Amino acid sequence: MLVIGRIGSFERMFYNAHLVFSSLVVLLQVSHASEILRPRGVSISKASFYVPERDFTCMDGSATVPFIYVNDDYCDCEDGSDEPGTPACPNGTFHCTNAGHKPLNIPSSRVNDGICDCCDTSDEYASQASCVNNCNELGRAARAEAQKLAELTKQGSELRIQLSKKGKQIRQEKQEKLNQLEKDLGEAERLKKEKEGLKIAAEDLEGSALKQYQQEEEERKQAQNEEEKRENEQEAFEYFHKLDSNQDGKLQLSELQVRQTFDSNRDGEVSDDEAKFLLNQQEEMSWEDFVISGWPRMKPLLMLDKGLFQGPDSTHTAKQEGDNNQEEKEHISEGKEEELDHSEDDEDEEEEEEEDDKLYEPHPEEEDPSAYEEDEEEGETANEAKGEVEEAASKYDEETQRLINEANQARSEFEEADRNVRDIQREIQQIKDTLLKDYGSEEEFAPLDGECFEFTDNEYIYKLCPFDQATQRSKSGGADTRLGSWSGWIGADDDKYRTMLFDGGQSCWNGPQRSTKVKLLCGTEHALKSVSEPNRCEYFFEFVTPAVCLQLDSGDKQDNIKDEL
Amino acid sequence: MKKIRQCFGIVLWLIIVSLGCNPVQSVDRNNFKTCEQSSFCRRSRRVKPGQSPYQLHLNTLSVGSSSISAELVNYNNLAKFKFELSAIKEETFRMKISELSPIRPRYEVESALVSEPELDTLKIIEQTADHVTVQAGANEAKVFAAPFRVDLYSHGQLVISSNARGLLKFEHYRKKPEPKAEEGAGAAEEAEAAGEEDIEADPGAWEENFKSHHDTKPYGPAAVALDFSFVGAHHAYGIPEHADSFALKSTKNTDPYRLYNLDVFEYELWNPMALYGSVPFLIAHGPARTVGVLWLNAAETWVDILSSGDQTVVSSIVNFVSGSDPTPQVDAHFISETGIIDVFFNLGPRPLDVFRQYTKLTGTAPLPQYFAIAYHQSRWNYNDQDDVRMVESKFDEHDLPLDVMWLDIEHTDNKKYFTWDHLRFSQPTEMTQNLTAHGRKLVVIVDPHIKRDGSYFLHNDAESNGYYVKNKEGRDFEGWCWPGSSSYLDFLNPAVQDYYAQRYSLDNFKGSTEDTYIWNDMNEPSVFSGPEVTMHKDCVHHGGWEHREIHNIYALLNTKVTFNGLFRRSEGKLRPFILTRGHFAGSQRYAAVWTGDNAADWAHLRITVPMCLSLSVSGISFCGADVGGFFRSPDEELITRWYQAAAFQPFFRSHAHIDTKRREPWLFGEETLGVIREALRKRYSLLPLWYTLFREHELTGAPVMQPLWAQFPTETDTFAIDDEYLLGDRLLVHPVTEAEASSVTVYFPGPGQIWYDMDSYEAIHVSSKHSGGRTEQIPVNIRKVPVFQRGGTIVPKKERIRRAASLSLDDPFTLLVALDVNGTASGTVYIDDGRSYEYKQGKYLYLDLKFEGKTLTSRFIDKNSKFPTKAWLERVVIIGWPSAVSKARIESKGMGTNVLEASYNSAAHLLVVRKPAVSMAEEWTLSLL
Repeated sequence: MLVIGRIGSFERMFYNAHLVFSSLVVLLQVSHASEILRPRGVSISKASFYVPERDFTCMDGSATVPFIYVNDDYCDCEDGSDEPGTPACPNGTFHCTNAGHKPLNIPSSRVNDGICDCCDTSDEYASQASCVNNCNELGRAARAEAQKLAELTKQGSELRIQLSKKGKQIRQEKQEKLNQLEKDLGEAERLKKEKEGLKIAAEDLEGSALKQYQQEEEERKQAQNEEEKRENEQEAFEYFHKLDSNQDGKLQLSELQVRQTFDSNRDGEVSDDEAKFLLNQQEEMSWEDFVISGWPRMKPLLMLDKGLFQGPDSTHTAKQEGDNNQEEKEHISEGKEEELDHSEDDEDEEEEEEEDDKLYEPHPEEEDPSAYEEDEEEGETANEAKGEVEEAASKYDEETQRLINEANQARSEFEEADRNVRDIQREIQQIKDTLLKDYGSEEEFAPLDGECFEFTDNEYIYKLCPFDQATQRSKSGGADTRLGSWSGWIGADDDKYRTMLFDGGQSCWNGPQRSTKVKLLCGTEHALKSVSEPNRCEYFFEFVTPAVCLQLDSGDKQDNIKDEL
Repeated sequence: MKKIRQCFGIVLWLIIVSLGCNPVQSVDRNNFKTCEQSSFCRRSRRVKPGQSPYQLHLNTLSVGSSSISAELVNYNNLAKFKFELSAIKEETFRMKISELSPIRPRYEVESALVSEPELDTLKIIEQTADHVTVQAGANEAKVFAAPFRVDLYSHGQLVISSNARGLLKFEHYRKKPEPKAEEGAGAAEEAEAAGEEDIEADPGAWEENFKSHHDTKPYGPAAVALDFSFVGAHHAYGIPEHADSFALKSTKNTDPYRLYNLDVFEYELWNPMALYGSVPFLIAHGPARTVGVLWLNAAETWVDILSSGDQTVVSSIVNFVSGSDPTPQVDAHFISETGIIDVFFNLGPRPLDVFRQYTKLTGTAPLPQYFAIAYHQSRWNYNDQDDVRMVESKFDEHDLPLDVMWLDIEHTDNKKYFTWDHLRFSQPTEMTQNLTAHGRKLVVIVDPHIKRDGSYFLHNDAESNGYYVKNKEGRDFEGWCWPGSSSYLDFLNPAVQDYYAQRYSLDNFKGSTEDTYIWNDMNEPSVFSGPEVTMHKDCVHHGGWEHREIHNIYALLNTKVTFNGLFRRSEGKLRPFILTRGHFAGSQRYAAVWTGDNAADWAHLRITVPMCLSLSVSGISFCGADVGGFFRSPDEELITRWYQAAAFQPFFRSHAHIDTKRREPWLFGEETLGVIREALRKRYSLLPLWYTLFREHELTGAPVMQPLWAQFPTETDTFAIDDEYLLGDRLLVHPVTEAEASSVTVYFPGPGQIWYDMDSYEAIHVSSKHSGGRTEQIPVNIRKVPVFQRGGTIVPKKERIRRAASLSLDDPFTLLVALDVNGTASGTVYIDDGRSYEYKQGKYLYLDLKFEGKTLTSRFIDKNSKFPTKAWLERVVIIGWPSAVSKARIESKGMGTNVLEASYNSAAHLLVVRKPAVSMAEEWTLSLL
C-alpha cells in the first residue's frame, strides 16, 4: 500500500488516510480501483481530476499549481477546486462520503469550524469538536424513514389511482348531466316562449279593460270629491255664523274664548294663545280666511268634542282614504310592470342568488331586531292593502274581472316556465364552472371539491375547503374570517400540483388582504396538518392527501416543505 | 401687574386623565413641545445678549491646589452662587456654578462620569481686581469678575469664552409667592426690583400645561443657562440624538436643538427635535483647534447654535477678542430646566485629543464580544421557537453568516419581561442551545416598564418593596405601555439596582443561558399615556428627586443595572452585550445604541451616517440603525443598499415592525440574495479590523467611525461632509444612499494621500500641490460598495467566512498593506479570545505592523501580553507595489526561515505573498526578495 506522508508544513491537509484503515471503504475502493487515493473532501466522481503525479489545474482553468498545493490550506484556484478538503477557499465545497449514510456536500467554510456537519466526522479533522461517527445510525434511520415513506407513497398512490378514477367519473357524470341539461334547456325555452305569447295576449285584453275601468272610476271620484268639498264648505259656513256671535262677519278672540271646545290643553279655559292659534295668529278672522285656515284648525277640535274620533292621530282619516285609492291603482300597475320586466331582470336576480350563496354573514339589517320589526309592519300593511285590492277588485265589472283573472293565470304560467329555464341555466353554469376547474392531470383532486378539513391550534380553528376557500375562526367563537378564495395552483413548473393559492381574503387592519398558500404532502388520508402565518396575513397550510402520492416521488420534495418561507 | 392664576385647566385635565389614556402614538409633531411651549426654555431664550448681571466677588476667592472658588452674585436679585473652577487631567477644566445655600438641594448628575475625575494641578499666574488667571499645563483660564466671564486658552490661544454674551441665568429656588389678588401692583414692583419680571410674567413658572397634561412644578422655576463662544471654530458637532446633519445648523430661525429622551413615533428627518437619547456634549472644530464642552445636566435641555454667518452680536465678541479679523466663531447657548451648571472644557487641541479627553470623563465602550460586531437578525417578532429555528437554518442553507437572533416583546408571557410565552416559546433553553450549537447567540428584549398584574412576580416584588417611581401624590406612578397599565422601576434606588441586576441571573431568569444577551428598549422612558409620550416631570424618584431632574439619565441607569446583572451572571467572566435606545453621556460604557424606529426610505438610509457620526464623536461609538428601516417595507434596491451601508457601520442589525412583510435576504430575488451575501461577507472578512478598532476605541476613545476631519483636521472641505466617513484612520466609506445611482461623488481627503479602491485596488492619488482633497465620481453598480483603503495603512482581514464570527477565531489572517507615496505602511492588529475579560489580565496580542522598503514586520506593542492563538498569517497583499517580485522570506523564532512564493499583478500593482504561515502569536519579519 502507498503511504501518504505529510505534504506542506501544516498538519491540516492530509489525504484520506483513514480510508486505508476502514475495511468498509477499502472494499469500496477495491470496486473502484482507479480511485483509491482521493484527496480529502473529493467525491468519487471528481477524483480523476486529482492526479498526484501531475500538476493540478483548477477546474475552471484559472491556474495550474504543483500538486502539493492541493489541500495545503491555501486557496490558489478562483473556483476553490485546489482545496476540496480545507476551509481555505471561500467558495469551495467539501464532500463527505458518510459511509453508511448519504454522501453530503457542504461549503468549505464548514470544514474545521467546530461544528459536526458530516455524520462520518470527516469535516472536523482538525478542530476542537468532538464529533462521533453516527452515519450507521443515521443511515439506518434514514433508510427506515425512506422505506416508511415509500410504503406510504405506495399506499397513497393506490389511493390516488382511486381518487383519479373517482375524479374522472365525476367529470363524466357532470358531462353527461350537462348534455341532458342542455337538451332540457331547449325544451324549457320553447315552453317559456309559448307561455310568454299567451301572457302578452292576455295582458293586452286586461290592459284595455282596466284602462276603460280606470277612466270611469276617475270620473266617478272627481264627482264625489266635488260633492265632499261642497258639503265641507256648507258645514264651515254654518259653523262660522254660529261662532260669530256679534254677527259682524268676523270672528274675534272673545268669540272663541267662550267656547269650551277650544280649550285644547284642557286647563279649563281657552287662553289667548289657544284662540289665537285658531285665528292663525290674527286678532280677528273673516269668512274667506276662515275657510282656508280657521276651519281646518277648528274642525278637529269640534269633532273631538263630538266624540267622532279618538285622538289627534286620526285627523287624517279623510286624506288616508284618498291615498288608499291611489295605492290601489299603483299596486295594480306596479305588479304588471314587474312581471313584464321579468325577462330583463333574470340575470340580475341570478347574480343576487349567487351572491347570497357566498355570503356567510347574515345581512346586518337582519341582525337588528328593530329593523326586523319594521319589516313585519311593512308586511302587515302590504297584506291590508292586498285585502283592499281584493275588495276593490270585487268592484270590477264581471267582464273586466274575468280578463284580469285570465291574465293573472297567464302570468303565473309564464313565470313558472321562466323559472324553469333559469334553474336549468344555472345548473349548466355550475357544471361548466366545475368542468373548467383544474383538478390535476388525472382528475385526482376532483373528489376534494366540496369537502372541508379543519385544523385547530391554540387559538383558532382553520378550515380548508379545496377549490373553494380557506377560513379561520376563533376557538372562542365568532364569525369566520376568510383567509382567501380559491385562486389556483402555484407549484413550480414541473410540480404545479404541490401548492394551492387562496387569495383575496378579508383585509387585515393596517395590512394587506389575507391569503393562504397550501402545500400538499403525500399521505394516506386527507388532513390539514399544520397552519402558520409566516408573514402577517399570509398563511401557510400543510395539507396531507393521497392525491399527491406518486410512486416515483423521491423524498426530496418533502424536505423542502418550507421553501417559500 | 398681577396675574390671576388660572385653575380651570387643572379641573379639565383631571377629567381627561380620568377618562383613560390613549395608547396610540401619533405621528403628530404637535405632540412634542416647542421651546416657546416650554416655560423655562422661552424664559431663558428671551434673555438678551448684553451685560451680564452676574459678578464674581474676587475677595471671596479661595485657591486650592487644583481649583479656585468664589462667590458669584446676580445683581438683579442678589441671589448668591458658588463658582468653582478646577483643573482635570487631560487638558480639561471643570466649572461648577450652584446655589450657595439653596432652600432645596440642586440635583447633580450621577453615573454619567466613569468616576470622580482625576484632578490636575493648577496655579494662579495673574490676579487683578478685575480678573484672575489660572494655568494648568498648556492651558489657561481667565476668570473675569464683573461682568462674570470665563475665557479658556489652549496653548496661548483663546478657544472658548463662557458668558461672553451674558446669557448666564441661574434661577435659584424660591418660595412660591402667595397670590395677592388686590395688591397686584406691589408684587410687581417687588419682582421688578428683584430683576425677575420674566418669572413673574410667565404663567408657566409655577405650573405648566401641555396638551392634556399638567405639571405641578412644586419647586417652581429653576432653569440654568449659559452661553459659550468658540473662537476660531467653523462648526459645532455632537449633542445627539437628532435626525439632522452632522455639522450642527444655526438655530437662529428654528427651535434650538432639544435634548430630552423621547419615544418619537415615526420621527422626522433634518430637524432639531428631541429623540430617544441625549448626550449634552458639543465639539467645536476649526482648522487650528478642536475643543469640547460637556454640559453635565440630566434635565430637559435646549441648545441654541449660532455661527459666524448669523450676523448677530457674536461678531462683536470676535472682534473684541481678535481685533478686526473676521475670525470664524460658533456660539452655543445651553438651557436646562433644573440642576446645576457643571461644565467640562476639553481643550484639545486636536479632534483625537478631544475624543480622548471626553472619554476619560465619561468612559469608553468596553471591548465587545466578537459576535456583537458581527451580523444580527431581528424582527418584531419571530413568531415562535420553530420560526427562530427555521430562520437560523435558512441562513445556513443560503450560506449567509449570522451571529445573533433577536426576540422582541412578543416572546414574553403577555409583555411580562423575564418570562416566556408558554405556547410559542415553551422551550427557550432548547431554542437557545440550537443557536449556540452553531456558534450563535440570542438577544431578548427587557423593557423597564412593568405590567401591573397581581400574578407577575416582578410587579408584586416592586409594589411591595416600593421599587416603583412615585407620582406627585406619592403613590406608584401608573402609565400605559405595551402591557397596558404599567409602572416603572426606579433605577435611582440602590435596592432596585441590586434587585433588577439579580433578575438576570440564570436562576432567576428561567430559560435564559449565558448566551442570552439583552436589549433594553423603551427606556426614555416611554409612557404612551404621558406628556410627550414619557413620564410626568413631577413624578418622584428615590431620594426625593423629581423626574424632571433625572429624566435624561433614566436609560443610562437602566443599562448600567442591566450591565451589572449580566456581569454578575457570568461571575465577571464574560463581557455583557446590551442594546439600548435611550442614552446619555456615559451610556457607551454599558450598551450599544441604535437610532430607533426609522423607516424604509432612502432618506432614512442617508441619515444613518450623520446620526451615527454625531453619536460617535460624543463617545457612543457602537452605533447602528435598523437595516431595511423599521416602519414600512423596503424594496429590493433599498434593502440591498442598506445591507451594504450597514456592513460598514459599527452595529449591524436588521430589524422590522410587526406589520411589515418578512424581509430575510432570501425573500428577494436571487441577485439580491447574492449581493446581500456579498455585503455580509465583506463585513465578516473585515471583522479583525473592526475588532482592532473597537479595542483601540476602548484604549484611546477614538471612535470606530470617524468624521473625515478627525484625521484631516485642517482640511476645511471635510467639515460639512456627512455622506462619507472613516473607519479608524484606515478606510474611507461612502455608502450608496440614493435609488438607481450610477455613481457617487466621493471626496478623497489629504493632499499627497493615495486611496485604494477595496474591490479593484485602483489607486486614487490626491495631489499634494493643493491644500484640499480631491473629488471624484465613482461609478457604482448594484454590487458596488464604495470603500477605499488609505495608503500607508495595513488592514487585517480573514477571508474565510464562517457561518458565525465566533467560529473564525482560529482562522488565518490576510494583511492588506496599502502603500503611501513613500512606499510605507503601518497598522495594528488586536487578537484575544473574543469573549472573556481575560484580556484585562494580559491575555491578548496587540501587534504593530510596519512595512518599509521591502520588509514587513510584526512586533508586540505590549511585550508582556500573551495569547496562544492558533491563527496564522495566510496571505500578505501589498497594494500599490511598483514591480514584479516572485520570492519572499519569512523569519520568526518559532518557525525559523522559509522562502515563500509571491505573485505580481502588474495591471493592479498588486503583490500577493503566498502563505507565510507564521503564527500570529509570534513576532516575525517578512522580506521581499
